[in-house]
Amino acid sequence: MKLGPSRFLGRRRPREYAGGGRKAAVQLYHVSKSYTAGHYALRDVSLEFGRGEFVFLTGPSGAGKTSLLKLIFAAERPSEGQIVVLGRNAPRLGPAATPPLRRRIGVVFQDFKLLPRRTVEENVALALEVVGAPRRDNRAKVFAILKQLGLQHRRFHHPLSLSGGEQQRVAIARALVNEPEILLADEPTGNLDPELTVEIMDLIAQTSTRGTTVIVATHDYGIVNRYAKRCVRLEGGRVVEDAPAHGATP
Amino acid sequence: MSRAAAQLASFLRAALRGITASPLTSGIAIATIGVTLVLLGAFALLVANMERMLDDVGDALHVTAFLEEGLAPEAQRELASKAATVEGVASVRIVSKDEALARFRGGVGRGAALLEGLSENPLPASLEIGLADGYRSASGLARVSGSLDGLPGISDLTSGQDWVEGYLRAIALVRGIGWGLAVILALATLLIVANTIRLAVLSRRDELEILALVGASRAYVGTPFLLEGLIQGAAGGVLALLLLYAVFRLVLPGFEFGLELVLGGVAPRFFTASEAALLLAAGSGLGLFGAAAALASESRP
Repeated sequence: MKLGPSRFLGRRRPREYAGGGRKAAVQLYHVSKSYTAGHYALRDVSLEFGRGEFVFLTGPSGAGKTSLLKLIFAAERPSEGQIVVLGRNAPRLGPAATPPLRRRIGVVFQDFKLLPRRTVEENVALALEVVGAPRRDNRAKVFAILKQLGLQHRRFHHPLSLSGGEQQRVAIARALVNEPEILLADEPTGNLDPELTVEIMDLIAQTSTRGTTVIVATHDYGIVNRYAKRCVRLEGGRVVEDAPAHGATP
Repeated sequence: MSRAAAQLASFLRAALRGITASPLTSGIAIATIGVTLVLLGAFALLVANMERMLDDVGDALHVTAFLEEGLAPEAQRELASKAATVEGVASVRIVSKDEALARFRGGVGRGAALLEGLSENPLPASLEIGLADGYRSASGLARVSGSLDGLPGISDLTSGQDWVEGYLRAIALVRGIGWGLAVILALATLLIVANTIRLAVLSRRDELEILALVGASRAYVGTPFLLEGLIQGAAGGVLALLLLYAVFRLVLPGFEFGLELVLGGVAPRFFTASEAALLLAAGSGLGLFGAAAALASESRP
């Protein structure tokens, strides 16, 4: 399979991924990220994630999982290397071009990142408001996604009156309401009990069946083993394993 | 409602939410802008009224040319005709020695009794020279006086030139002090508004982070803060106008003597609608610029 845009020709190409054969959603090419001189959060990472692929990023705390997601999301710039996200050279995007890319990416965090003073409906609608979508259309879209996630009866509640699982479902609803091409989830079940963990992960897994690339960072190998998906294991900022879930070592 | 109007309404709601979320800091910013504009407005009013007084005086400005003693009436008329041809002269009137004395008697009132003992009229005949439009100013007076000076038969010339020049210097001084204060206060106000907006940005950091997550543009994130600065500036402008109007209506009438001294009996006037709008615009501009400075410093890496 051909990897990377033409500017990669003549240099070492990213490592092929287990589920190859599909068009790439994300390509990382010899990416390193250093926050302080001499200390690397990521070191020489080359990866490719296909469209509609479901990938787990695993590894211990400090392995570089969150840094990798931030780079894909253009929240950070790599110290070295290239990153192509949905065909765009993410680190080179200016302030005006970054938001349109982000609108094509949904993000879910462990701490939900919901606005406590806004209702569930308003929190989810935020993702639509920023692109200037008409409010009437927004309400219908928000209701549809909340209904899909079983939260339509909670739409006028404030986040702090909801359970942890419900709050995470609101965060997922916000991430999905724009029908993103990539869904990034950083320890999405870190604050949830085992039953809710399965519920939330099932919801996230469903989105990849609709063609969305899903990248989930987790150190919970119970989840990884349950879903038998591609698993990239990071340690000390390096990729130490890239294999289906059953290949990962807890 | 159109999409743009809905977006603007949403930004306005966010800006008002920001102002009401921290009423104390917003209040301080509004009060600071208000105080700055009160001082600026007070100086502007003083200068405008002084200039108006000068306009009123300009209409009455004239040159008096005193004639040499013993100049025959025929020679006086000839001299008047010559003076009338000088550029900038609109009218020439001969004031005889008798008329000058009569005017003097009328001017001094009861003191006229002192003149009874005089054996002869000590006042000279003169030409009262009116000025054409465009010459009723200090420079106009100087030009006309210069042209008349040296005409045979004229012994001395007087005009309000020195007074006008002095008054113009006073206006320039007031205007200079006003501008100096305005610049210093505007800088101080900008700092305060910028810090107010910066505090607002910091207090909503979580919200801004989430907006960035969902792909909000810089304009989407920044516009409510700019509107917040603009609203604070406009509110400061309204506050300044109200304070100035209150002082103008309630306090100023108590200083009649001072007003008479500075404005020479010309009734002071308040701002016109367009001048008031300019003051409001200055306030809004201060608020907007302060907010823009805060956003620029906050978005710096």
